[in-house]
Amino acid sequence: MIRHLRTLLVCAVLAAASDALAENYPAVGATVSSHLTIYSTTDTAAFQAAIRHFQRLNPGIAVRYKELESNELYEQFLADLTRGQPKADLLLSSAMDLQVKLVNDGYAASHVSPSARMLPSWARWRDQAFGLTFEPAVMVFNIDAFAGRALPQTRGELIELVRRDAAAWRGRIGTYDIANSSVGYLLASQDARQSSEYGALLETMGSAAVKVERRTGDLLAQLETGDLAIGYNLLGSYAQSRIASGAPLAIVYPRDYTLVVTRTAVLPASAPNPAGAHRFLEYLLSIEGQRTLANNGGLPAIRSEAPAQHTQRGIIDAAVGPLRPVVLGPGLLVYLDTQKKRRFMDVWGGAVGALD
Amino acid sequence: MKLSTLSLRARIAGMLGLLFMAGTIALVFAAQVYGRLAADKSYDRLLAGSALSIAETLSIDRGTLQVDLPYAALDMLSAAPEDRVFYRVIGPGSDTITGYDDLPGWQPPSRHNRLIALDSARFFDAAYRGEAVRFAVLGREIAEPGMRGWVWVQVGHTRRARDDLTRELVLGAVAPITLITLLALSVVMLGISRALRPLQRVGQDLAIRLPEDLQPVVEPVPREVAPLIDAINGFMRRLSCSIKALQAFIGEAAHQMRTPLASLYAQAHVAINEDPEGMRRSVAAIERNAAKLSRLLDQLLSDATVTHRSDVRVFEPCDLLELVHEAINEGVPHSRRWSVAVSTELDVAPFVGDTLMLGEAMKNLIDNALKYGFSAQEPVVVSLQTEANGYLITVTDRGPGIPASQREKVFERFARDDKGVSGAGLGLAIVRRAVASHGGEVSLDNRVGGGLTVTVRLPWRAQNSHP
Repeated sequence: MIRHLRTLLVCAVLAAASDALAENYPAVGATVSSHLTIYSTTDTAAFQAAIRHFQRLNPGIAVRYKELESNELYEQFLADLTRGQPKADLLLSSAMDLQVKLVNDGYAASHVSPSARMLPSWARWRDQAFGLTFEPAVMVFNIDAFAGRALPQTRGELIELVRRDAAAWRGRIGTYDIANSSVGYLLASQDARQSSEYGALLETMGSAAVKVERRTGDLLAQLETGDLAIGYNLLGSYAQSRIASGAPLAIVYPRDYTLVVTRTAVLPASAPNPAGAHRFLEYLLSIEGQRTLANNGGLPAIRSEAPAQHTQRGIIDAAVGPLRPVVLGPGLLVYLDTQKKRRFMDVWGGAVGALD
Repeated sequence: MKLSTLSLRARIAGMLGLLFMAGTIALVFAAQVYGRLAADKSYDRLLAGSALSIAETLSIDRGTLQVDLPYAALDMLSAAPEDRVFYRVIGPGSDTITGYDDLPGWQPPSRHNRLIALDSARFFDAAYRGEAVRFAVLGREIAEPGMRGWVWVQVGHTRRARDDLTRELVLGAVAPITLITLLALSVVMLGISRALRPLQRVGQDLAIRLPEDLQPVVEPVPREVAPLIDAINGFMRRLSCSIKALQAFIGEAAHQMRTPLASLYAQAHVAINEDPEGMRRSVAAIERNAAKLSRLLDQLLSDATVTHRSDVRVFEPCDLLELVHEAINEGVPHSRRWSVAVSTELDVAPFVGDTLMLGEAMKNLIDNALKYGFSAQEPVVVSLQTEANGYLITVTDRGPGIPASQREKVFERFARDDKGVSGAGLGLAIVRRAVASHGGEVSLDNRVGGGLTVTVRLPWRAQNSHP
């Protein structure tokens, strides 16, 4: 009995601790059934406006927004299930592959709506996974570091630039740590699939002692200060917001091809508040939600009809080369294969870490 | 509604509808089976291709089995865009090398079948993670230093695309069939309506006719209905004849009764002013005319009785001999009983017939014989005997007889002989009708030495004949 009590106590403390990491948006008159829990990989700041707007449209729904790393999100969700205490009503993750795996493994509920049907076909799968944003993976440069020199426009040019003067760029190239960043792994694996130059790029970056970070924010911060001069494969949306607030950064959409990923929403079949979850998802997919995400959160809208500053259309106009959206679908499961992933990580680690 | 009164349209439509429905159901089932087979066939190729592309990347590296899952292996399965995909690679030790390690079990084929299974995937359906999943399994024999045995690649996807394709195929097959069925049914209904229209026209034609209009129906009708129309026309012809005969009979009967009544009236009128002697004569004349009238009425009654009885046919066992005696008793006054003799060797003459009709016939025969053929020398003889297939009854007299040319005519109602000696003229007509309704016949012959023989033949089993 006492042990049980102790367990309960520990659980309560842990719950309180995990709650501390979450952003709560209380609502007047909210009941237990109108609490909505969102697990997300997106910065709270980017979603704040959307949640407030949603709450204005749907009074009485309290929202708990819990920010997690994408791997963490995936494991937390499954751990909740294993414990028999599903908590999340909606999963928003930039790790498209992990979201696809959740759907493939049967954890998702279907959401059928006209808004969902308006999404481009690559951005939805089985009425269970939905792309909410349109985010190209870009190269970000510190303008000061280039001091008037031409910015490389393709991967080939980037390789050439670094090779020509490896010492100058040593330690000044940054990219995602694919061992810890799911979106980084997703982008790297897609590069490996799409580009014949990927091996050379990896080798070049390795030889220039590439710096890896798990968070986009950390990479951008170092780019802004000039510690890093080149950021490869970063999500453009965050860079865009920093440029907007005066950072000396420039975004280049690689002209050979530009990968496009989308923050993917999955509605778990185990959602404690499915009605609220459907409503919030529908809001995010609606023109209004898309506009709010784009204008107030800096997350480019995926629906081309959304008349926002950073829309899919705006990006398509800005990009000169071909855009290659990563297709939501079972193909993404391939790089999650344990053997495949291990081999890929070995190669990547070998290249990046070899001269570290 | 009784089956026999059910409308033809409903019958035909019902039968055809049932047939079409059964046909459609059978076709739907067939289409479903075929559709599923076709869908499985096409998507199985995809699965097999996927399994093959995985199998081709199998390699041994430092004693461990390596699988380099090709992107296309799973991406190609998005040809079934909405389906979840599962895969597993099973090593020689039945351990999962990579993929979903809890895929539904599958027994590797026996050693003999493995060679056959080479390169051709095996397929099976199983439930996995809450959905029906189609799996393909492909085997590869590994014989490398450090590892020997069979490696199995199992790839599966949910059945959504297959089911969609099946549905599409079934719909594609069933929709036109249903359409054609409906079309055929409506054409049939239209055809039935058109086919039945002549019957409606005949019905309308008959409905608006005046009661006395017995003209034949001339409406053209389909061959199948012609017998019905012929029957109607034949019936109307007979009806028309019998109405004419009835009208003639009524006219004649009225005429026949008028004459004795007129005489009665005249004689009664004369008698009022007569002296007793004259009055006695007049009364005697009145008595004669009254008797005549009475006889006429008897005969009319008898005729009506026989006509009615021949319609209703109340046949029962009886004795013809007794019948003859009764006819004599009822029809001949005691004072003249001597003038009728019965000649027979039979004690009893069993027969099945209508006693009333036969009795009337006998009475009329005897009455006629006494009336026209009475002679003081010889009595009227009624003889009864059996012959091959029935009874033979003859009534013979010594009267004047009837010339051959007149013999058919006397059977008609109100017939009279040439000399104007009139009976009521109904007697022989009654006899003929009564005998005919027993399947028998009546004939007349003059006797050698003067007189008439009336021969009546009554066959056995008269109850079976139809007059």
